[in-house]
Amino acid sequence: MSIDFDTAVRLALYEEFVRTSSPPTAERLPTQMQRPADEVRGALERLAQGKAIVLQPESREVLMANPLCAVPTPFRVRTLERSLFGSCVWDGLGIMAMLGSDSVLDTSCACCGEAMTIQHRGGAILPAGVIHFAIPAKRWWENIVFT
Amino acid sequence: MLLFRAEEHIENWRRQWNQPRGATLTIDQAWRLANAWYPNKMDPDWRRATLDETEALLANLGLTGPFWNLRN
Repeated sequence: MSIDFDTAVRLALYEEFVRTSSPPTAERLPTQMQRPADEVRGALERLAQGKAIVLQPESREVLMANPLCAVPTPFRVRTLERSLFGSCVWDGLGIMAMLGSDSVLDTSCACCGEAMTIQHRGGAILPAGVIHFAIPAKRWWENIVFT
Repeated sequence: MLLFRAEEHIENWRRQWNQPRGATLTIDQAWRLANAWYPNKMDPDWRRATLDETEALLANLGLTGPFWNLRN
């Protein structure tokens, strides 16, 4: 199957992110893909414009390749092989859905701080608690970091 | 999107931080939403859903009404 360059960049980014628990840097990705840095940077910017990923405001390194987040958050998903962070509880569940393997989401109650876990075993979710969406759906991308 | 132990914790948090009431989902609802939204993100043929597709996805999960409206 032939894929376009932006898709190749997206796949390389996600594969490395899931494998190492960190996104490749904008310096490493071109080396990995054996393509010029400005081409890869351009692809990352287009992916961000298309809301496939979120870049950091100044460095333009990857902040989110949703549902994955590049920086530690209170939403950590653990599998046998790795730990990954989501930006919110929904993204934590998104990581579990994307990976498909047994996993545990470690988090805490946003009100009182009590530790909570949501487990995914054999395709089923063992729930705990309730989720509150504060921002109406049409405004999620006005400030995705806050959302 | 935040997780709370129970409804009363949402209300306590809202009062403490002066936040408006949004929408509350059970974990099962959010799990179905995550499964509809994210599983193919690492596939070559992934693309961002259109507005119509996103509306249909939300409606299929029973997420309708002003909070889930995507249009102005």
